[in-house]
Amino acid sequence: MALDRVDQAIISQALVAAAKEMGIKLVRSAYSPIVREANDCSAALLDADGNVVSQAELIPMQLGPIGTTFRPCAELHPPETLEPGDFYINNDPYHGGQHVPDVFIFTPIFFRARLVGFSATVAHHLDLGGGAPGLNMAAGDVHQEGLIFPPSRYNVNRDWNGGPLERLVRANVRVPEKTIGDCNAQFAANGVGARRVTELCEKFGADAVTEAMAALLDYSEQRMRAAIAAAPDGVYHGEDQLDGDGVNDEPLVVRARVEIAGDSVSIDYAGTCDQVRTNVNCPFASTIAAGLSCIKSVLTSPDIPFNEGSKRPISITAPMGSMLNPRPPAPVRARMLSAYRAYNAVMKALAEAVPERVMAAGFDSTHATCLSHLGEGGYGIYLEIFGGGYGASALGDGCDAVDSPLSNCSNIPIEAIDMEHRFFRVVEYALVPGSGGGGEQRGGLGIRRVYEVLADDVEYQSYSDRFTIPPEGLFGGEDGGAASVCVLRGNERIALGSKTSFRLAKGDLVVMSTGGGAGYGEAGRRSPERAARDRDDGALAAP
Amino acid sequence: MSGPTRVGVEVGGTFTDLVAFEADGVRITKVPSTPQEPHRGAIAALDESGLALEGTGDLVHGSTVATNAVLERKGARVAFFATEGFRDLLTLQRQSRRSIYDIHYQKPEPVVPRRDTFEVPERIGPEGEVVAALDDAAARQRVARALQGAGYESVAICLLNSYANPAHERRMAALVAERFPGTGITCSSDVTREFREYERASTTALAAYVQPVIDRYLGEFGRALDDRGFEGRFSLMQSNGGRLPASGMAGNAITALYSGPAAGVMGAIRQAGCSGHRDLITFDMGGTSTDVCLVQDGTPVLTSDAEIDGLPIRIPVLDIVTVGAGGGSIVWRDDGGMMRVGPRSAGADPGPACYRRGGAEPTITDAHLVRGSVLADTFLGGRMDVDPALAREAFAALATHFERSVEQVADDAIRVAEHNIVRAIQLVSTERGRDPRDYVLVPFGGAGPLHAARVAEVLGISTIVVPPAAGVLSAFGLVASDFVRYESRTVRIAIDEAGAAERVRAQFAAMRQDADSAFAALGLASGLRYTHTLEMRYVGQAFEVPVALEADEIAGLDTGLLRERFNEAHHRIFEFDDSRTNRPEIVSFRLGIASPPPAVPRLADTDAAPHAADVTIFDGGARLPARRINRSALLEAGEGDGPLLIADETSTAYVPPGWRARMDAHNNVILTH
Repeated sequence: MALDRVDQAIISQALVAAAKEMGIKLVRSAYSPIVREANDCSAALLDADGNVVSQAELIPMQLGPIGTTFRPCAELHPPETLEPGDFYINNDPYHGGQHVPDVFIFTPIFFRARLVGFSATVAHHLDLGGGAPGLNMAAGDVHQEGLIFPPSRYNVNRDWNGGPLERLVRANVRVPEKTIGDCNAQFAANGVGARRVTELCEKFGADAVTEAMAALLDYSEQRMRAAIAAAPDGVYHGEDQLDGDGVNDEPLVVRARVEIAGDSVSIDYAGTCDQVRTNVNCPFASTIAAGLSCIKSVLTSPDIPFNEGSKRPISITAPMGSMLNPRPPAPVRARMLSAYRAYNAVMKALAEAVPERVMAAGFDSTHATCLSHLGEGGYGIYLEIFGGGYGASALGDGCDAVDSPLSNCSNIPIEAIDMEHRFFRVVEYALVPGSGGGGEQRGGLGIRRVYEVLADDVEYQSYSDRFTIPPEGLFGGEDGGAASVCVLRGNERIALGSKTSFRLAKGDLVVMSTGGGAGYGEAGRRSPERAARDRDDGALAAP
Repeated sequence: MSGPTRVGVEVGGTFTDLVAFEADGVRITKVPSTPQEPHRGAIAALDESGLALEGTGDLVHGSTVATNAVLERKGARVAFFATEGFRDLLTLQRQSRRSIYDIHYQKPEPVVPRRDTFEVPERIGPEGEVVAALDDAAARQRVARALQGAGYESVAICLLNSYANPAHERRMAALVAERFPGTGITCSSDVTREFREYERASTTALAAYVQPVIDRYLGEFGRALDDRGFEGRFSLMQSNGGRLPASGMAGNAITALYSGPAAGVMGAIRQAGCSGHRDLITFDMGGTSTDVCLVQDGTPVLTSDAEIDGLPIRIPVLDIVTVGAGGGSIVWRDDGGMMRVGPRSAGADPGPACYRRGGAEPTITDAHLVRGSVLADTFLGGRMDVDPALAREAFAALATHFERSVEQVADDAIRVAEHNIVRAIQLVSTERGRDPRDYVLVPFGGAGPLHAARVAEVLGISTIVVPPAAGVLSAFGLVASDFVRYESRTVRIAIDEAGAAERVRAQFAAMRQDADSAFAALGLASGLRYTHTLEMRYVGQAFEVPVALEADEIAGLDTGLLRERFNEAHHRIFEFDDSRTNRPEIVSFRLGIASPPPAVPRLADTDAAPHAADVTIFDGGARLPARRINRSALLEAGEGDGPLLIADETSTAYVPPGWRARMDAHNNVILTH
């Protein structure tokens, strides 16, 4: 029976609302600041075949390829063999996962013994063991980056609640109350999603809900195709580069060939540099997420529900063994950095096709800062993710001090940090005047943070980029400001690289600045009123 | 009813409503609002009603003036002081975006621009300890340099960790007052004592931003009342559902944000309460949006998680969810071929297509005219001239596209709008762990009673209470509301530590003393009632779950009871509890004090002559012969079966087939099925 159009609209909206509710509840019941304050987590509902139907809009990077993470689980343990209480878990970068801290959990949804779908959550876990608390920049392979859950099936009653899997995890992580607590929040959020879907089945019947799920995929596909078809056909090229891999200063180049043909797009990353020995390699699932997010952001309206259907018109390839499709066991923790350059390369290619819809390059990097300390009460681990300035676009200035496009982490309130940690203190948190590239539209400003270290033997680990190669201005706009980190120790100023670790001592000040965004159009064309406002609000560098 | 006249005046976006309770009955007046000078609309309503203000004992006012000042960025010029190193808090915000794929994203614009932000050297620690003392000399210098000759109307002070120790903020306030007497000063610790500096800074900046606006407004309104011989008590509605005497708004203006929707909820509670209903879902549908609120045992649910125009406000406000589904909401087809309703609205101008003001896009009001559930001759009591042919025309293109009749498409649009409302109700019920079937639905506003029955069917709600004069229930709510004030404190207590229960009792007792003296200063001392709420979480979590305690439970409180109550509340919302591995803690305390108004008036119907007519309604794919009656006719008949339209001066209720309507002894129309 064909589903009534109004019922379809109603069920679709309910599926989107349910995913959103899962995301909110995951954040609000979580334990680690990286989830509960920074919201480094996502949630989605999948159909019985594992296609993402609806998602909570949290982190684009985690959302794009949830289906890719699901499939290896389903191949090993077919969905029809699942029982109530079972769940899939996967964080294996070489079997559909992303980086090790992002643990994906899938809970099957049964309605009257029939499998109708899955609820899924992913959270960035603060610590999963590995070679250093929170973040191990020295990792030479993926095994040093933390505990890997290969695609597998467990049962929450048998294996988790006090069971062997929970005990295994507890024994292998440094802050078990946070890791276990966040996992519990994931299970609970999955439970909420499952409950909403079964309520829908009770109201409309499982057939109607299944049909509405399929129709929602088609609906998103149709809207994506309509948007792509409106862009001019052609083959476009773009490239961008990372400063280096943290050991060598040799720029790492990412190249994209984007072909728009009718209502589909294909992206090929051929020409991208080979995989490297440090952790900036990007697992293919993350490469897919980067390309998809750029196409979706530039060509389509933000209100198209993002799901498996919206991916159908887009195909993405990257050469095996390249930085964007590495072979195991290369380390991948900082994969966001190369993923951003994959995003930038596609953006630059699209600038040729639809110049009025793209944005200039922004800071477009994840600036991760991890401070850890083993005190009398156990490990203290602080991890925070910073963005910087957005690139400007034809429509306006780049946004100031905002997380970069593939992520969407909130900051951790200074007062939450003060409550949690006694081995350091934040003494400054500010905009970086002058960091936005000038232009008819100016780039957004970067972020400055100063940490005062209050104990000896504090470990600093960090990855970032755009320290030496700034974001490039578009159509005559100026480049954005570069990022930097230094340690002030007495009268000494120690400059640190973008991908590094360092042992801090009591009294040190760590001064970090993230980069600004690049400008769009020539600076001479900026209106005098807006230039005056920049001056009054101190957006420009001190003269 | 006896005693002096009592008046509620509610300034809305389009209309200003007045409800007056006099010795001999109820008087209702509606005049156009004057958004540029809102007090003029309110005064016009008073003048037009012909009331003698000399005999008026109680006048309660609800106004959008604070809300509009923020939405239009027309508040005061504010200087914002932060701890050294943190002047950019208002611009940095929380770093995240609300729309993740929007590359043209802009943050909500702060009410204080960067050029008006300043710093002062000091630091308080998380336990309230002084990490770096506030140096008076340095602070004096900073204050003078920032404010001298700069013409600020208001100063906001938000220092780090001041929720734990407000001493530095208080000292800064004293230094500002010493050098610049007469400048308004708002300290974050006086507005909200909760951690998270951005949210507290945003609340403080907003409070400082609207305070001078409210002060001016009350001054002008007060003078107009004086001129008219008013000698009674003048009070103002707050967003927490209670009112305060105008003198109590000095320093509290931020509580006037969003007071309009709160007044309606209070009116609904009072009116449904007469019929014995205390667990309610209220649903106020007007021209552009619908406001939904859940009421538990006669008390509306509060939240500290509100925002205005994207800017957070951390004060307790009624937990009202708003969706863009109103009479003026536009019906459209998106590029994926799905029918959508709202959030765009035709507003008052041009308004729905049927208004004959050039609106061409179909709206929900047009859909009702096409469907026959609203009739042209009784639209807004017959005061508004509408054209059903224009309404049909507006739906023609959608009908062609969807290959359905115009009536069917209009009916579909109403169903989609009703599901938007259903989702809003689910947000305040199912998502908060409350089953809507345990509640009575109370629709009001011009369009609420038209949709209530179908919304109730989807949610499994079996009883609906339609109050009299549903279109002006908010103005009634003003007069019916209590005087209310909330005190809150962040004090962390792990519930299994020794003496925890004793500390809870002592904390509430101290807050009660503060609340009593604040009320005494406003001349409020009779019939005082208190509410006690603990904000609790598991150690390590960051978001709290409210746990309400009855006054008589406080004396016998122990760790066991606290644990049980918290686990229960956590489980209700999140569907799990961590009692196996984790222990709960108290994070903050909230105490509410309330004093009832003098005897609560009752809403009655105007005494129109009974009227009935035969009509046809298109509903659920069929053309149904139905009756249209007015409330007097229902009163005469006692009850009636759907399909039925019950129209009065301010709104129309639709009773679908399978539903029965009856008038009860309290002038409420009760719908059941």
